[in-house]
Amino acid sequence: MTSIELDSVNKIYDSEGGEICAVNDMDLEIQEGEFLVFVGPSGCGKTTTLRMIAGLEDVTTGTIEFGDEDVTDLRARDRDIAMVFQDYALYPHMSVRDNIGFGLRLSTDIPESEIASMVEETAEMLGIEDLLPKKPSDLSGGQQQRVALGRAIIREPSVFLLDEPLSNLDAKLRDSMRKEIMELQQQLGITSVYVTHDQTEAMAMSDRVAVLNDGELQQCGPPEDVYRNPTNQFVAGFLGSPSMNFLEATVSSDGDTVTFNGDADFVYHSEASSIAEALGDRNRCTVGIRPEDLVVGAESGFNVTVTVVEAMGDENVVYAQVGDAEIRARVDSQHRLSAGDDILLGFDDDNVYLFDAETGDSLRTKDLDSAEETEKRITSPER
Amino acid sequence: MSVASKKPDLPVQFGVYISLLIVIVLTLVPFYWMIVGATLPQDQFFTYPPRFLPGTHFFENLADLRDRFPYLLSIWNSIFVATVYTVLSLFLCSLAGFAFAKYEFAYKEYLFYFILATVVLPVQIMIIPLFLLMANFGLLDTHIALILPFAANPVGIFLMRQSMKSIPDSWLDSARIDGASEFQLYYRIALPSVKPALAALAVILFLFQWNAFLYPLVVLTSEELFTIPLAIERLVGQHRLYFDQIMVATALAIIPITILFLLLQKYFVRGFAGTAYQP
Repeated sequence: MTSIELDSVNKIYDSEGGEICAVNDMDLEIQEGEFLVFVGPSGCGKTTTLRMIAGLEDVTTGTIEFGDEDVTDLRARDRDIAMVFQDYALYPHMSVRDNIGFGLRLSTDIPESEIASMVEETAEMLGIEDLLPKKPSDLSGGQQQRVALGRAIIREPSVFLLDEPLSNLDAKLRDSMRKEIMELQQQLGITSVYVTHDQTEAMAMSDRVAVLNDGELQQCGPPEDVYRNPTNQFVAGFLGSPSMNFLEATVSSDGDTVTFNGDADFVYHSEASSIAEALGDRNRCTVGIRPEDLVVGAESGFNVTVTVVEAMGDENVVYAQVGDAEIRARVDSQHRLSAGDDILLGFDDDNVYLFDAETGDSLRTKDLDSAEETEKRITSPER
Repeated sequence: MSVASKKPDLPVQFGVYISLLIVIVLTLVPFYWMIVGATLPQDQFFTYPPRFLPGTHFFENLADLRDRFPYLLSIWNSIFVATVYTVLSLFLCSLAGFAFAKYEFAYKEYLFYFILATVVLPVQIMIIPLFLLMANFGLLDTHIALILPFAANPVGIFLMRQSMKSIPDSWLDSARIDGASEFQLYYRIALPSVKPALAALAVILFLFQWNAFLYPLVVLTSEELFTIPLAIERLVGQHRLYFDQIMVATALAIIPITILFLLLQKYFVRGFAGTAYQP
């Protein structure tokens, strides 16, 4: 178990069209025993960052430290890590038993008999004792993933890296494996870094979530904190399902009342002082509202026309159109809505997020924390 | 809409089978003729009408052959040269193929196409330079002269690169993390993953060396080092052809190659089908 520190880490690839910056000046500290999840869209640099931590990818500039040791130039096999890959990376010509014991045989002097009993123990822990004599090709996806986990944990590494380990599994299996990985991590207490593009997975599993975009760390913090206090419009839009609604609006102020005028029927008046403060002297901004904060049948609000209704059982996700903008609302299933209905959607002042129209930086988030404080959290993470 | 693929009409099927049958017969007749020839005394070889049934003269022909030439030694030479060549070439080709498939280095593509381009050079062009090279090294009239020059075989390198490209990088990364050295990646992960392609290549390389005639003829002079094709050539005398003995020699010559093919047959088709690994 060890802490990990990334200090001004850059990764630049040479390509025919010039240099491509895959990871840009990343500073991050991962605590001992922490479960940190990198999340972001494809090509955001999360896997590259993980591979640099693993030692499979060179760091262009910057340093990576495990505890007090600088591991930037250490080879992967000298870093005492284990990694689980998206495609499980089981060696097809070896039995499950040999796959799990492979690392021990290569990198330690442990006698064969002891390796055998360690393999048995690990398999028992993961409930795969019956699979030991089989070849990977005889296993289902979930079973292969368990074997991959077994191969990773048997060496009791100080850092455990997981690269989208669940994305090849079906939805149901994914849920149960998610729980298993969390339990395993808690049980073993190994510092773990997990990469996913699935924000639900990131929110559900992590102690802290690190949101990446275009090679830059956007925000890092406990999931609920990042969800409620996104540092910018990208983070706000990336976390949450369905994602946050964004409405561009011009702002005008008349005494205590601030008025937002957006596309089509979107007009919103607010008397909340915090909103006026957050806006400063801006005359344009982007208003953000989470789908679960929109209420059907409120006294005031804005008119929309329903385009699609997705029934989820306990609730419906309603898609509607305001001018060019699409609005998503999560409403109780007792509202029997259908496509073509005109409805009034309302929301509370407290639930309004505001973003700078140019930069996308947060001006106001749900807990009324200023964006500055959120920014502080990026550089000095606390558990 | 039916999902099942349509079966071809009966006449079409019949035509296909008849064509295949003709091809099989055309392929097998020379082999059968060779066996018949090997069992007939020389004077019955050219009788008219020709004899289609094997005779009983095989062991007499074999004894004649042994008297004329140390033929079993030639078979042993061929087996030795072809086996050593195949093993060495498999090692070199797979190692080069692994590097071309899984590592990045300067001018990799150019180097690969350069190697590939050497496939078009016929052996005849290389014979004189190779002869001089072997003479300079003092390797003329040795088996090493047969084995070394062609050990890094461009076709083999190409075949190995193609099949090793199908190995997912994650297998190698995983092994790296598990503590494997780069050579262990090659030896313990890559090589076992491309067994079918290795088997296919083994057959190609073995056959290449087994059938080689012109180059061995140039570099070998001692009869006790001769491989089978050179030995058979000795049976073609200035004044007469020893057809009975040639047939016996040829029949014996195809036995080892047939055994090799039968052993590796199950991998052979898969190896040529391209990828070693089917996810």
